[in-house]
Amino acid sequence: MIYSWKKIVKHGIPLLVLAVVIEIFAGQILQGKQEMLILLPIFLISVPVVNSISGNIGSVLGARLASGLHVGYISLNLKDKEMHDNLLTALLIGVITYFVLAIVIYYMALFGGLRMGIDLIEFVAILVITGFLLVCIVSIMSVLTAFLSFKRGLDPDDMVAPVVTTVGDAMGIVILFLVIGIFGVGI
Amino acid sequence: MYAKEMVKQSLPLIVFCGLGAIVAGSTLGVMIDLFESIPGLIVVIPGIIAIRGNISTALGSRLGSAYHLGIIDADNLWNEELKQNIVGSLVLSFLVATIIGILAYVTSILPPINVYPDPVKLISIVLIAGFISAVILTLLTIGIIYLVFKRGYDPDNITGPALATFGDVITIFCIFGSAVLVEVMV
Repeated sequence: MIYSWKKIVKHGIPLLVLAVVIEIFAGQILQGKQEMLILLPIFLISVPVVNSISGNIGSVLGARLASGLHVGYISLNLKDKEMHDNLLTALLIGVITYFVLAIVIYYMALFGGLRMGIDLIEFVAILVITGFLLVCIVSIMSVLTAFLSFKRGLDPDDMVAPVVTTVGDAMGIVILFLVIGIFGVGI
Repeated sequence: MYAKEMVKQSLPLIVFCGLGAIVAGSTLGVMIDLFESIPGLIVVIPGIIAIRGNISTALGSRLGSAYHLGIIDADNLWNEELKQNIVGSLVLSFLVATIIGILAYVTSILPPINVYPDPVKLISIVLIAGFISAVILTLLTIGIIYLVFKRGYDPDNITGPALATFGDVITIFCIFGSAVLVEVMV
């Protein structure tokens, strides 16, 4: 027998506990902004969306880099052209996705009879700027995690997804509220 | 062109996953009254979504590797290897859900937060939600893996995105359900 439940638990626990600590930090930021989220529920709806997109883009990028490193068409060099192409494409996909989904969220909330308190352009701008900054951070994390784990002889496929989704969740919430603050919404 | 192909292949799936996340987000929107009446509840949301995603995608990818190694397949799915994987996932879910509940309570009562949740209520909500969503998502993973095997697809390409999309929605439904349940009973 290859698998034993005790081993699965033992190997899984350290990374999960670390992830939980970071996610609780993200959760406390949400709690601190709870009153604002009650006034502007559209941003509460946006939280899982902001996090899901960045997590997926970071994981796809990481999986592509991992394959490239394993096969050898991406080299362990921060100036690698193939890696830069992948990075820029991830940014492009990010901006398009945040733009499209921001419009979907806005009209869904509007027709769902939600308390709005913000207009379409402002909302889309906040989500796209948040998304752009977040995808930049997540993509850089993805490249660094893939390169460092590959260099140490670890499989980037195992490392990138958990690191990127956890950091993305926490940073997503931090950046979203920073951008909302800059726009001066809900104050 | 190379970049164009990458956009064409991943963009639809990422947008689709985003639509799933909108369903998850809307459920949070519906829960606003609960967040007001149960302090600390909002704190557990990112954590419980994240660990569900991590535990079930890890299960999916282990079962994918087991398939490639020839340990399990559609005709020989329900064997001891699969049972060990299931028990491992459920135990992890239970342990980590407990840690989330305790951490959410402890960090709330400390400065600078100074919010005072009901610890019994908060921890029972997280435990019930964590356990029920773990059972549902484990069954879902096995169902997806079975279908993927039957059709001869590579499980590595399918389980990750599928679980990411359903996982968020199912987990938030479970938190919603268990919060209502505990609020009514306690």
